[in-house]
Amino acid sequence: MQEKTCSHLWEMINVQSGFIITENCFRCNKTSTYFSFEERPPLEEYRDGEHFWNIMESAQSIRFDLKCSNCDKIIQYGELAGLMMCTGCDEKCEITKLMKKLEKERTWVYVAFGFFPVTERKQISTEKISILEEYFNQRRKSSRSKIKIVSSEMIGNIATCYAELIKDVGMLSLAPPEKE
Amino acid sequence: MKLQEIIEKLSLKALTNLEDKDVSGVFISDMLSDVMSSAQAGNIWLTVQTHKNIVSAANLIDISAVLVTYDKKVPDDTIELANRFHVIILSSPLSSFQLASKLVEAGIK
Repeated sequence: MQEKTCSHLWEMINVQSGFIITENCFRCNKTSTYFSFEERPPLEEYRDGEHFWNIMESAQSIRFDLKCSNCDKIIQYGELAGLMMCTGCDEKCEITKLMKKLEKERTWVYVAFGFFPVTERKQISTEKISILEEYFNQRRKSSRSKIKIVSSEMIGNIATCYAELIKDVGMLSLAPPEKE
Repeated sequence: MKLQEIIEKLSLKALTNLEDKDVSGVFISDMLSDVMSSAQAGNIWLTVQTHKNIVSAANLIDISAVLVTYDKKVPDDTIELANRFHVIILSSPLSSFQLASKLVEAGIK
């Protein structure tokens, strides 16, 4: 089917497990996040040029692409760090305002995050966010509610945002009980 | 199958408000990323996880209900968030394996 006339039906492909690593430079206080495909997350601090990176958090997550099963078009989501559900923590935030408006229609607002620092990493485009929203709504086509995905650029003040990315924190710290 | 029917058959405890929902299958995992990639709308999700991010993951996929196994204590903030977003959380003292067996017996595939 030609892409121009295709009613895309998206499926998740190339799902890869890994870690979202958050690190902080103790010299300049810059925060950086990236996706690691290593089997185990890095633990030790290291020097990279002028930066001395400390690992702040490593959380298991996935990286994936979307493919249209009708026209074979593939959209890559390498720049997506994760999704976060808006809980309306900041009344002044534009996303909270949108959430309050849409919740009457049972439409839940999620925020798509790229990696930090935003000025140095390619961020997810509006077009890709729309396709991601279309994909998740197609997956929940039988439901009585919908989701809306917006860019993290809409967040008024990230420091006052209490929502969390959907990721698996601390799963590797699970350990069997010690033998007596 | 209706969620209320499953609640009665498996003697599940509702920790949140209940809504009339259909259950179309079972998903078992303790990882939110698995839910994002592999769960299907209408599934009942069996997990030991209780932190409030289970609400975000369940809501994204439109899970019918989150069923917390081994009677794990679910924090109040998780229950509060679930009620706000119409996510149903249930609880049972049984393991995922025992519950999965009972769900199959009840007719869920």
